[in-house]
This record gives sequence, C-alpha cells and structure tokens, in this order.
Amino acid sequence: MINLVHNELIKLVRKKRLYIILAIVAVLVALFTYAQMKEVKSLQERLGTTDWRSQLQQDIVNTQNRLNSSTIPDDLRKYFLIRISEQEYYLEHDVDPSAPGAPTFMRMFVENSIDLLMPLMVVVVVGDLVSSELSGGTIKMLLTRPVKRWRILMSKFLTMILSVSFIVLSLALLSYLISGAVFGYSGWTMPILTGFSTNGNVLVTTNVHLIYQWQYLLMELGLAWFVGIIVGSITLMLSVLIRSTAAVTGVMLATLISGPILANMVSSWESAKYLFMVNLRITDYISGGAPPIQGMTLGFSMIILTIWGIAALLVAFITFTRRDVY
Amino acid sequence: MKLNSVKIITFLSLVATVMWVVGLSFTINDQFFNNPPPPVEKSATISTDTTQTKDVFIVAIGDSLTRGTGDSTGKGYVQYMLNDLKSKTKQNVNLSNLAISGYTSQQLINQLKQTEMQRQIRQSDIVVMTIGANDLFQGGTTLTNFKQSNIDALEKTYLSNLKEIYGTIRKINPQTTVYHIGLYNPFIELSDAKTTSNAVRKWNFDTADLAATFEKFVFVPTFDLFQLNVNNYLAGDKFHPNSMGYQLVGDRVASLINFEKENEKNE
Amino acid sequence: MNNLESTLVVKDLQKKIRNKEIIKKISFELKQGEVFGFLGPNGAGKTTTIRMLVGLIKPTSGEISICGFNLADDFSNAIKQIGCIVENPELYPYLSGWENLQQFARMVPEINENRINEVVTQVGLQNRIHDLVKTYSLGMRQRLGIAQALLGKPKVLILDEPTNGLDPVGIREMREFIRTLAEQDQISILISSHLLSEIQLMCDRVAIISKGEIIKVDSVALLLAEQERVSWKLQPLAEGRRILSEETTIIFEKDGIIITHYDEGKLSLINERLVREGVKVSGIQTKLPTLEDLFIELTGGETID
Repeated sequence: MINLVHNELIKLVRKKRLYIILAIVAVLVALFTYAQMKEVKSLQERLGTTDWRSQLQQDIVNTQNRLNSSTIPDDLRKYFLIRISEQEYYLEHDVDPSAPGAPTFMRMFVENSIDLLMPLMVVVVVGDLVSSELSGGTIKMLLTRPVKRWRILMSKFLTMILSVSFIVLSLALLSYLISGAVFGYSGWTMPILTGFSTNGNVLVTTNVHLIYQWQYLLMELGLAWFVGIIVGSITLMLSVLIRSTAAVTGVMLATLISGPILANMVSSWESAKYLFMVNLRITDYISGGAPPIQGMTLGFSMIILTIWGIAALLVAFITFTRRDVY
Repeated sequence: MKLNSVKIITFLSLVATVMWVVGLSFTINDQFFNNPPPPVEKSATISTDTTQTKDVFIVAIGDSLTRGTGDSTGKGYVQYMLNDLKSKTKQNVNLSNLAISGYTSQQLINQLKQTEMQRQIRQSDIVVMTIGANDLFQGGTTLTNFKQSNIDALEKTYLSNLKEIYGTIRKINPQTTVYHIGLYNPFIELSDAKTTSNAVRKWNFDTADLAATFEKFVFVPTFDLFQLNVNNYLAGDKFHPNSMGYQLVGDRVASLINFEKENEKNE
Repeated sequence: MNNLESTLVVKDLQKKIRNKEIIKKISFELKQGEVFGFLGPNGAGKTTTIRMLVGLIKPTSGEISICGFNLADDFSNAIKQIGCIVENPELYPYLSGWENLQQFARMVPEINENRINEVVTQVGLQNRIHDLVKTYSLGMRQRLGIAQALLGKPKVLILDEPTNGLDPVGIREMREFIRTLAEQDQISILISSHLLSEIQLMCDRVAIISKGEIIKVDSVALLLAEQERVSWKLQPLAEGRRILSEETTIIFEKDGIIITHYDEGKLSLINERLVREGVKVSGIQTKLPTLEDLFIELTGGETID
C-alpha cells in the first residue's frame, strides 16, 4: 500500500497541480493582505483612531443604524442582532477579536476560505486523481497488475487525505508568512473567545471561554481539514464516476458555489440544511457566527458532512471495484 | 531533485495530517466534551489608552439628526461642525459618532450602559447630542393624533429620561462639555403650524431648563434656523434637514466651541 | 504441440451488455511458446475478449484460467502471469520512460532495478529511457509498452494490435521480436489484429472471430494448406457458373473470377465440358488460399478493412 501511495504522490507532484495551488494561494493571500491593510488604513482615517474598541463600537453603531431601516430582511436582522451581542461581549471583556498580526490574518483567511477557496483547491487536486487515469487510458495499466482494485482506490483515497493536509498546510503557512510581512508575525498567544451559541436570536454565552490564538487556529485548521476531507471524498466519487476531469471540476465548482447562495435562501427552505455545501462553514460555530438555519450546530454539521463523506466513498468503492473498464 | 520534492511534499503532508487530526480532536474535545467553563470574567481593568490625551476628542450620540440622515452627502451637522473646528485649531480633532437612527431617550439610556460607550465618553472632551425628536414626533404619529394631554405625557417621560442621561454622562465624565442640540419644527409650513410650533418650543424650553441645572451642559437652539423658509432646508422626507440645513446647525455648534478654554479647564 | 502445457484456457466465455450478447460463448487455449492470432474485423469482439482476459471487464459467464489460476477467484496470482497492452500503450506522458516502469514495478513485489534494466535493453530503449514519454514517437511508446508488459516475467503476453501505427521497418522489428520472445523465452503470445498479412506472418495458430463468435481455430499452416483452390476465368460468366456448380462446389466468386475446390481427377473433365458447351476458358489457375480468402469464405462475404 505504501508503494501504491508513493506512486500516486509521484504522479501528483509531477503533474504540477500542487504547485499551481501554491501559486494561487500565494497570489490571493498577497491580495487579501493588501486589501486588509487598505481597509485598516481607511478605517483609521475615517474614525481618526487606531483604537480597536472605537472601531468595534463604530461597527456596532453602524449595524444598529442598519437595523433601524425597515427594509432589512428578517434573517439578516437576526444575524445582525447576534453579531452585535457578540461584539458587545468582546468589548465588555476587553478582548480584541481582530488584533492585527499574521496569526489573526491567518485565522480570518481560514474562516473565509473554508467554504469556497479551500474546497476549490481540493477539487482541483483531487478531481483528476481517478478521472485522468480513465480518460488517459492508464487505468488499464493500473488494473492489470496483481493488485486488487479496492487497494488501488484506497491508495488514491490516502493520497487525497495527504493532499488535503498539504493544501491546508500551505494555506496556513503562506497566509502566515506573507501577511506577517505587513502585520508582523506575533500574536500567537492572544486570547480568543469561543463557545458562543445561539438560541433563537439570543446569544448564549454560558459556554464562552478564553483560549490562546494558536489553540484556536489549530482548531480551525482541524475543522478546515475535516471539510477538505469530505469535499475530497465527494470529488473522488465524482472522479470515479466521470471520465472528464473538467466535468468533475465543473460539477463540484457549481455545487460549492451553490452553497453560500443556498445558505442565503434556506431560511425559507429548511431541509436544505441536509445538503453538504450548506454545512461547510463550520468554523463559524466556534467563532460564534449565526447559523444559516436555526438549530444548526457544530455537531449537526459535522454529522451531516460525515454522512455525505461516507456515502460518497461507498459509491466510489462499489463503482470502482465492479465497473467494466472500456 | 525530482524525487526530493516528492519526499519533501510527502513528509510535509504526513506531518500536516497529524497536526490537523490533533486540531480536529482538540476542537471536538473543546466544543463537545468540555464541562461548561466558568463564564469569562469581565475584565476588571479596562485599559484607558493615552494616545488621545493631547488631541480633542468629540463623541456624538443620539438619533438620526446626529447620524446625518437626510444629508445627501452623508455628512450631517457633525461633519460640518468638525470641518469648522479643524479650521479653527491646530490641534487634532477626533470624532466618534455613536448615534443611531430612530433612537428615543429610553434607548439612549440603554446604550449608555455599554462598556465601550462609557469608555469613550470618559475620554471625551466634548459630547454633542440630539435626542427627543423621536420621543416627540414618533415618526409623525403624534401629529395625526394631536392632543395636548398626549404631548404632555410624552414630554414628562422624556424629561425624566433626559435627566437620567445627563446624570449618567456627568457621572462618567465630570469634565466633559455637553452640547445638546435642540429641536426645530419641520412642520412649520403645514396647516396647524401654530400648535406644533408651540409644542416644540415648550419642549425646547423645558430641555434648556433641565440643561441649565447641570454644569457645562449647553443647550443649542435650532428652532430659529428653520423658522423661515423651512422647505429650503429640509430633505425629501420633509422631516430631516438636507445638506444646507445641517450646515446651518453645524456652523452654530462649532461657533460655541472654544478650544483654548477647553484645554485650560481640562488641565 | 499438443504435449505442451496450456498457459491460457478460455472456456465458454460470454459477455452480455443489457441483454445483448456481445461475446457468444467462445473457447480457446494457448500453448506454451506459441503465437496465437486473434483475427477479426473491428467490432467483432476482439478487444472485449482481451479486456475480459486481463480482468478489465467481468464476463457474464464462462471461465478464464491462466497457468492453472482462475482469473475470477484468484485474480492476483492469475494476472501475475500476464503481461499486456490493451489497445494503445497508454503511459504517463509527464513521467520519463524509466519512471513509468518504476510505477509498474512498485505494484509487483519481486521486481527490482535490474529487471527494469533488463527489459529496457530487451526492447532497445536504453538511450531514451530517461526522457519524458511525451517526447516519444509512437514506435517508442509501443516498445515501452512491451517493456512494461514484460516486467513481471509473464508466461502469457497479450498484445492488442501491436503493429498499429508503426512504419514498415518497425513492423518487421516487432514481428521478429515477438517470434524471439515465443521461441527463446517460451512465452505464449496472443495477438489481435485486423491485418491478415500480419497474423499470417507472425502466428502459429489463428482464431477467426466475427460478430462475437469464433468461427474457426486452426494452425495457420494447416488452415492455408487445407485446400488448394482453382480459379476460373470464364466467358460467358453465367453459363460457366452453371456448369461449374453442376460439376463441383463454388467457394466464392470475386471480380468475375470463380473459385472452386481443387479436385485433381476432375479438373480436366470440367475443362473439357466447358469447352464443349462453348464457354471460353481464358484462365485456369490453381492456388493456395490466403487468410483473406478464408475469412471471406468463412464469414460469408464480410469484409475486413
């Protein structure tokens, strides 16, 4: 099995897809760093202060002003109310949720890339693991060896896990290294509040506790990795089912993009919460964002994602071991 | 060379896998199996930063008038005032606008309970505020059902709230100067202008009366500014001022603020 | 040849796709050291059969055993005895020839670098083996394909259209190479082709396959020597045809030439009758049949391209 995975990794590296991913992430991180820097500057100019408390209070006030507009949709109102109570909680406890520094940037980057950017990277790498062998005809070379078919797919699955780990690692490292050049590299031991939960539109703070930013980051990256594995499993299934790598990527792309759109509309369609793409933003649960649908929790999302992942793998393995190869 | 990059990537991926699995199990442990920790204590010492001591710090609180609703440029009297002040002094003038549209005196009382509101007021040299318009007009409903007894009741609550607001501000910051901008009558050109104007004038008079009982509370009248040609100064909603109206108010407030004095007293 | 061991035994192999019978219960055997031809037009079922032999397609029914191992029950041991190229040799273009071979070597336990070197020398790719496969010509890819097929020292080699896309020199080299493998290394080789000349030159035995059925299996020499034929050039054709059909069996007719069985005693008698009845005989020729003739005869006129 180690040999098989070794084979897969050689192919993966030599196809240079990983390097493309690295380049894309580097460019995006640089862009976001620049944007963030600009935003901080313009905020300072506008408010005439560098004090995060004033900035946060201003943010609260701005939100409250928006809340007073009668045209604001119900679910958005709910979201704002929860956000305000959270921000007030931060102010009351004198904890800056966005103290500048590379670790903070990294945290925000992970939170914002978990439902689209990171899964996309996974799709790009995993999408052709099987389909390229099908379309290139090399599958015939693989399957006419004295190795059982499930072992071949298992090696692809393990390779998928390794590449997801690698992608998450490069997201983390690149965002830390590049943004650190602007924001500084410190901030690992900054305290972060976690454990917020919501009950209706009331913020429940009984479970809130402080942890260090590095712990928090480790948690978020672990969750991002988990999401990556699930998206990877589903992509692997499609890669088994569909010959064309472009089609696999296309289908996954469309599905992933539909996630945030659906999440916006699901207040009126509750069963959408059983779709995997609505459940990808699991880092929001630990940072305290409002769930897209009431009643969704970290546990719920993780169970839904796990079910999707296992189902996808079952389909992939059954199809792969039984299918006639032409 | 080629084989090395495979080896490096494999090694990194393996290390990363272990890290992320640890992270994930840490998350699960932290979020699901942790006994509810003692709620985080409110930080006892809220740090008062000293960066703004040399500058003049203005806090604006209140309702939509302070927010600047109706001004197509989005500035509001606060910004016009700020511009005037900046041309008057070499000192840095910083402003924090914490006003929220639609706020009544009761809501302002609640807002003043927030930690950060108090911190900013504590640091302020000047507070400018508008409050009461929503208490009085209630989005226009007061007019359609105009009864003197009704107005009296509204004003009574308002005044007791205002007293609490003044008291809170003074308690938070004994030094700061408060400018309370009074009401104008936006309905002065409508049919029953006389009754509405009377109500607004009484409202202003009682507010000024209350302000006079507190030290360094200045009531700034605006009734006269909008008394003639009110429609030139009103925005499309015929309620809030437009840019020109706000400019008038801003100029008036700015003219009352004198820096040298402020600093002397503060020092 | 019958005393030699059978390396590949196929019995009643059948494949149905959505109730349509693609391969109709075919059976054949390969002996050690023989080159076995699989001849048929495109779409006759050659490739489907080959894919079943190497485990890419599961047969609906029937049995395949390789050196005594049943392919369905003991896949790993059975497939170990086989080296194959199915259709084109598809390799990873972004890897070098050497790396491609390494890939496959890692999938079989007992192959080391020496063995890779050996097969590379055997197919004569020493000079270019470290270049990327995407820079290879078709002939070189074909050779690399054979190298990977030989890697596991197979007892049976299955080559699907091995001379496809090769130039005449390449074809001759390939032919010689295949003969050498069979004769020196005693490997059984199954070759599919739609080119009769190729099969005729390379193979010991041939199976003729058409519409999913094996029509005939025999040694090439026997098949061709079985019957000499006589070709007649007659005028008028219709009258000639009538007389011939009365006197002997017409095998087939092509371009105004009638082919009949050869019957030494009767030949002069028939000629006499033709002349007597006023049919002009412009040519009588005895000849050995080609596979093409055989094929046309066996399939009843189905052409091979």
